[in-house]
Amino acid sequence: MKKKVLATLLTAAMAATLMAGCGSSTSSTTTESATDAPAAATEAPAEETAEEPAAEEEAETTASAEGGYHFEIVSKGFQHQYWQAVLKGAEQKAEELGDTINFVGPNTESDIADQVQMLQSAINQKPVAIGLAALDTSACLDAITEAQNAGIPIVGFDSGVPGAPEGAVVANCATDNYAAGELAAEETYKLISDRIASADGAVRIGVMGQDATAESIINRGLGFIDKIAELAAADGHVVTIEGNDKYVSDSKVEPTDGANVIIEVLVPAQVTQELSAIDCQNLLSKSDTICIYGSNQHSGDAMVTANQTMNKFGSGDGQVIGVTFDSGTAIKGAVADGTFAGAVTQAPVAMGEALIQTLHDAASGKTVSDVDTGCQWYTAENMDSEEIAQNLYD
Amino acid sequence: MSNEKKNGNAFTNNPIVRAVGAQRIVVLIALIVLFAFFCIKSPAFRSYPTLLSILGYSYYITLMAIGVTFCLITAGVDLSIGTGTVAYSLIGGYCVVTLGMPIGVGMLVTILLGLIFGTLNGTMVAVFDLPPFIATLCTMMIVRGVGSIVSGGMSVTWPSVGTPQGWFRSIFRIQIGETMYPIGFLWIILLIVIMTIVLNKTKLGRYIIAIGSNKEATRLSGVKVVKYHMAAYIISGFFTGLAGIAYAATFQAIAAAGGAGLELDAIAGAIIGGTSMTGGSGSIVGTLIGVFIMSMLKTGLPYIGLQANWQQIITGVILIIAVGVDVIKNKKLA
Repeated sequence: MKKKVLATLLTAAMAATLMAGCGSSTSSTTTESATDAPAAATEAPAEETAEEPAAEEEAETTASAEGGYHFEIVSKGFQHQYWQAVLKGAEQKAEELGDTINFVGPNTESDIADQVQMLQSAINQKPVAIGLAALDTSACLDAITEAQNAGIPIVGFDSGVPGAPEGAVVANCATDNYAAGELAAEETYKLISDRIASADGAVRIGVMGQDATAESIINRGLGFIDKIAELAAADGHVVTIEGNDKYVSDSKVEPTDGANVIIEVLVPAQVTQELSAIDCQNLLSKSDTICIYGSNQHSGDAMVTANQTMNKFGSGDGQVIGVTFDSGTAIKGAVADGTFAGAVTQAPVAMGEALIQTLHDAASGKTVSDVDTGCQWYTAENMDSEEIAQNLYD
Repeated sequence: MSNEKKNGNAFTNNPIVRAVGAQRIVVLIALIVLFAFFCIKSPAFRSYPTLLSILGYSYYITLMAIGVTFCLITAGVDLSIGTGTVAYSLIGGYCVVTLGMPIGVGMLVTILLGLIFGTLNGTMVAVFDLPPFIATLCTMMIVRGVGSIVSGGMSVTWPSVGTPQGWFRSIFRIQIGETMYPIGFLWIILLIVIMTIVLNKTKLGRYIIAIGSNKEATRLSGVKVVKYHMAAYIISGFFTGLAGIAYAATFQAIAAAGGAGLELDAIAGAIIGGTSMTGGSGSIVGTLIGVFIMSMLKTGLPYIGLQANWQQIITGVILIIAVGVDVIKNKKLA
């Protein structure tokens, strides 16, 4: 009796483990199979490997005249709603062009090995072209070379494939993050230039970065810092920078004494909501802080959390101007009710569309070039307009 | 006890010190010293909002730590509490936000998931004798995967203050007029009192301590060790569920597949508070103080202008000292 119970429980445990093991690959397929036509078509290649290539090549040659290509797309996962919007744009465009796509991604943005495997199996499908947002280019290098040898063009998107071997990546469809940071700075400076001019002493501008390793985060930070400094210097102010070493050394601003505009960059020891919220609180509690910029959804969320106790963000006298990046329920709410002055959103839908268009062009032998998929500044006033709203997510 | 008294000095023989425990007094003093240090070094630190947020950010860790203290006392550990906290609140939030269930149901789901996975841990450890480290490490991965699958890999934000269902956030912090009150701390104190009584005055607690001291002897004396051993993990699971709610109430978007590493803050808090890693002794009050040392460091170090990497070094060094003092003290007693 006891043995039977034990056996049943063990089986249950094994089944549970199996299910968990499948987690990384299923999560992406489920999101994808929730959508209609393209998903159904992509299910098949995942199951068969041996006979498939021949049949597919045939399909290719017949299809190439009027579209109907199949693309493998390896993203960074679906952890952020941002990726759902990219997927949406890609699906829309694929349907329009009559192509099919298989859009996959690892569980989290730290699962580099999983992504390499996904890229490898994408290459094994021998698609006409591959879309790739690499988590770590060096880890993908072997697979990229293999794709290059097999003559499969790769189109980078989101953060792209920085440092890939010459010729492997034919084009990138990405937000120019540095320019996006500059856009945030230009809009911010309009709101704070009077305050800087009328301040008794020095003023402080806080910059919150989720980390000092990801290219996109760093560039959004540096774009903002450099532009703010440039605009302030043009008005005759003296700017200095302090805080995180990476940002301090990579920015164009030199630490100087006697400055009246201090840019302070904070990066948490670990990427947790708690530590970033503490950083924000720390900035908010300094009496000379006039403005805080958070360079992604993580930092923006942390600003909302910190403001729950500090209650300092706003546009009124003595309040701190809050500017952030991306969206999400909390950030959208804070922009809508005027807690934050505004935010920059990327155009994930446009990015998905541009990716498919570029893949399609590359597959049909046209020359392709990099596409800046753009970004937009949104405030309480324009966030409901259709142009902006399609790029905002909960 | 008498042995300890003979070897003790004026400090350890003091009745108050003996009632609370020398280790806890030392840690409490350390906590006060830390607090004073940060207050002196940073004017911004000594403000009411800072105090509010130290409390606010400590609730979920305290709740995890109360639960894991029971596992540690049995000479085990529960590594699934970190990813559990995030995964349970992710699924609970998914029920509320995406499936449109009432917030109460979402909270129940969160707690229920804690109980289910706590029971799974307990079964593996108590019934099948799996090493707790391995068993709960596996659960840690499983809950992480389950959370991601249920939410479709997406992050979830529980209703925010001001929205119809946002009232649940005031369970932990309530605003009356212009002032905010950290009423969550009241619930924490209440739970600390209840769990201290459970640990020290009930059969359940006494047997859990006995299992940690000597499982075989406890079994030979006729105690159903499997039942009580399992109970420790179910308690841990329950408190992880509560921690999930506190986490959802404090922060914004809950990221799928997150939470790895949070368990270490809770476990470190319990150990600093005097719970022995080899089992058989521990205190819930000590755990609370230990968690506050961790929270104080996390909040205070950025305030005095230390950069991220230095914060980690300092925290590590302080933990070594705190645990080291305990080890040395125990060696002297032995």
